[in-house]
Amino acid sequence: MITPSGLAETLLWGVANGCIYILLAAGLSIIFGVMKLVNFAHGQLLMIGAYLAFTASVVLGLNAYLSILVAMGGVALIGLGVERFTFRKVLGTDKLNEIFVSLGLIYIFENAAVLLWGNKSAQIASPLHGLLSLGGISISYDRIAAMGIVIVILLSIIFLMKKTKIGLAMRATSQKSDATQLMGINIEKVYIFTFALGAALAGAAGALYGIIFPFSPALGALPTIKAFAIIILGGLGSIPGAVVGGLLYGIAENTAGYVLGGIWPDAIAFVLLIVVLVIKPTGIFGGKGD
Amino acid sequence: MTQLTGLLNSKKFTSLLHSKRFYFIMLGLAFIAVLPMFIGSEYVIGEVLAPMIIFAIYASSWNLLAYSGQGSLGHAAFLGIGGFASALLAIKLGVPPIVGLFVGGLFSAGIGLLIGLACVRLKAWFLAMVTFGFSVIALTLISQFDSVIGGIMGFATPLIVPRGIPFYYFTFAIAATSILVIYLVMKSKLGLAFKAIRENELEAKMTGINTGKYRLIAFVLSTFFAGIAGGLYAESIRYIQVSIFDPYYSFLPLMIAVIGGLGTIEGPLIGSVIIVSIDAYLPRIDPFLQGLMGPLFPAVSNVGPPIRMMMLGVILLLVVIFAPKGITSLINKTYAYLRRDKKEVKP
Repeated sequence: MITPSGLAETLLWGVANGCIYILLAAGLSIIFGVMKLVNFAHGQLLMIGAYLAFTASVVLGLNAYLSILVAMGGVALIGLGVERFTFRKVLGTDKLNEIFVSLGLIYIFENAAVLLWGNKSAQIASPLHGLLSLGGISISYDRIAAMGIVIVILLSIIFLMKKTKIGLAMRATSQKSDATQLMGINIEKVYIFTFALGAALAGAAGALYGIIFPFSPALGALPTIKAFAIIILGGLGSIPGAVVGGLLYGIAENTAGYVLGGIWPDAIAFVLLIVVLVIKPTGIFGGKGD
Repeated sequence: MTQLTGLLNSKKFTSLLHSKRFYFIMLGLAFIAVLPMFIGSEYVIGEVLAPMIIFAIYASSWNLLAYSGQGSLGHAAFLGIGGFASALLAIKLGVPPIVGLFVGGLFSAGIGLLIGLACVRLKAWFLAMVTFGFSVIALTLISQFDSVIGGIMGFATPLIVPRGIPFYYFTFAIAATSILVIYLVMKSKLGLAFKAIRENELEAKMTGINTGKYRLIAFVLSTFFAGIAGGLYAESIRYIQVSIFDPYYSFLPLMIAVIGGLGTIEGPLIGSVIIVSIDAYLPRIDPFLQGLMGPLFPAVSNVGPPIRMMMLGVILLLVVIFAPKGITSLINKTYAYLRRDKKEVKP
């Protein structure tokens, strides 16, 4: 049965899910914007982030929401290593090489997670319980908290990009990397910082994902594609685009699940992706592509 | 086609008949042909050698697409479509299985044409994502129409030729033909156009190459051979199921072609031998690995499979970073190194 209040609730939960995807997509988008690189292993970073937060909350007994910081830090460190030892080596060569490197990373991350945490599903225990009900529409406290956290993280990212020196260097590099180099900016440092920042966002998204949904080592591929669909929807390399795309996507996915059911919520990402790319390859809100 | 017949009569081809490389290839073919006579085990022929040949076709088809600068992350869709189409044609419509195999390839090429049309303007990452997405949609659709197809539980595939040695030679014949066609395409004007597009699409366009048309041709050819490989694969495991659309099968040809040597004809063959051997024989050291590293990783009951997969990822990274042309380039370098010594000795 499709009822108005049911539909409103679906939209609200869709927005909440969308928030997690926004974080993931923003990371992918920042990396793309500055480095012109697409890391297909981004979803695996989310998965690792979820497991790090899980371990922090189980082993150290940390509050689930504080464990987000552990996930961000841990995944940022992994990001540093990944950029330094893999992507930097193939940057500027054939674009296909980046896809191959990502694939190698996918194999490594997924199986490392299987080795360390086992091949079963896990979920981070949240200190918040229950639902908030407002006039027939209810939503879990966890999702409200997730929305708040995403907003805080996004605002700090925007502050970082607009008001700090490294943010200025990142914006300059994204516009013209060789001119930036001529201005005396070490773009290798900018690249490694950017990659770690994008990875940290994926880690935060992973921790939030792990609080709301169960996860397993094989989780990775789907979130990558969702994040990709979102940055295509919103236009590559723009954070506001990722926000709009993420909200649209979260709503579309949840509504598809509510109206069509079954496996369609996952397929909707690809339908959206293909339709948008075929009609307007630079994204709905994107300007000219590169 | 005229380009192909033209090539067969050209000087290039006649000079090929006199080249050493040609005799190496002939020697290799002869080796593969007599191999079953020395291997008595039905298991090795059916479960190791046949898949090696089938994945060599599959990876070569992927390699042809990459030759035109287009990287697909969803080739499993075409493997699966070829497999399902050829099996269903034989079972539901009573088409002779051998005809079904080729019609399955054509069917896959038809779908490939549609996807290629949608992707013709897309750059590397977008193409990779769309093809990957398509393989997942294909899985969803086949599962959705399960009452007609029965793909979730799977079903037995029809018999083309008897299992064992006859099937081995049948696969071998198809593989030799397919790889010869792919080789001729790569060496023809068509292949030159693919290469030009791969190196620089804009410049290719400026020299008057209709890049859209050639990218589509690469897509259709590649998906045709992927479909054939799918039909053969379903036949070799005697069974077809939606799991054939699994990302594992999308990543496999990439792994094989890149590790073997991207853009070369022998790369996918070498890669297939390596990857299939790893899959078939490395599990034997699992008990040893478990004894060695099991206590370190109590979360898994058998550390073998994840460690093996991880090593594949590491090998892929090492190859891409340190030997972008794959194992083939290493072999060529070694050969050139040995030759250089010989030349220096001569006055």
